[in-house]
Amino acid sequence: MPSRSRPARPTPAALVFLLFVLALPCAGAGSAAAADAVSVEIGSVYASNEGSSMDPVLGNIRGKLQSMFNYTSYKLLDRKRRSLAVGETGEFEIPGRRTMRVTPVPAQGDKVRLSVQMTEGAKNLLTTTLGLSRGGMVLVGGPSHQAGVLILIISAD
Amino acid sequence: MECGTARKMIVGKVDGLLPQEAQGELSAHLAACAACAAEERAASAVGPMLRAWAGARAAENAPRLDAMWTRVRAGIEERREEHRRRAWIPRWAWLPAALALAVLALLFYPTGTARQPYNPRSFDVAVEDLESDAATVALVDKGEDLPRVIWIIEDAKS
Repeated sequence: MPSRSRPARPTPAALVFLLFVLALPCAGAGSAAAADAVSVEIGSVYASNEGSSMDPVLGNIRGKLQSMFNYTSYKLLDRKRRSLAVGETGEFEIPGRRTMRVTPVPAQGDKVRLSVQMTEGAKNLLTTTLGLSRGGMVLVGGPSHQAGVLILIISAD
Repeated sequence: MECGTARKMIVGKVDGLLPQEAQGELSAHLAACAACAAEERAASAVGPMLRAWAGARAAENAPRLDAMWTRVRAGIEERREEHRRRAWIPRWAWLPAALALAVLALLFYPTGTARQPYNPRSFDVAVEDLESDAATVALVDKGEDLPRVIWIIEDAKS
């Protein structure tokens, strides 16, 4: 019986390696694109004097919160992250029918500049422009919520 | 019995479909009708003749069939061997791929502390402007080790 030769097929390992090699430049391009975008995260913390508890999720900044504020209880209600290009506005819903609009504006070097507007219905609670380092953090606090206040953790990366 | 009916019954007998009670009737007709008896003998001889012919053909073709099955078995075995040879290559080739993935995972997997959110690298914040239409806002700076706080005191509330 004559044996028929079939065309050589790549092995799965060869395919994985090929994908890996092809993905490397894409990863580089992705990180270059990511450098232009700003990853903005807004965390909404409910601080009150009801009980005495610290949300374990806030473990890394527990000491900071306790040394800055006189509340006994801290609970992370919500955490939202958006990747925003310069000029692009991200809208973050905040507990208590409030909204925070964040727009990255042009900045130099490793800095990030964020135009921030916080509203409660038609009321403008805050308009500010913040200059942060990548990986930096700033807090916005005070809006009342239930029996305590909201502390918003704004971080940019 | 008429010869036409008897011939139909002969066909039924040869096929083994003639009822037992009709066989006596047919036998009586065959004993009396030489033409139908000859038809019955000829029809009855067809089956054994076909069987003998098929047996002879099978015996004649047996060596060729044997040779064909040998070739089929050899072909299956050859494919099996080829598959075994090819299957062995990925088994070790996966190893470097798995190692590379493991190294990447180790390099990029966050540490225990980093897995928790809020790992600020800096509290250096410049507040360029600060405005509010419905509240009093204040900038609180408690030092370089602590984050800056913008505190909103809502005018309508205490």
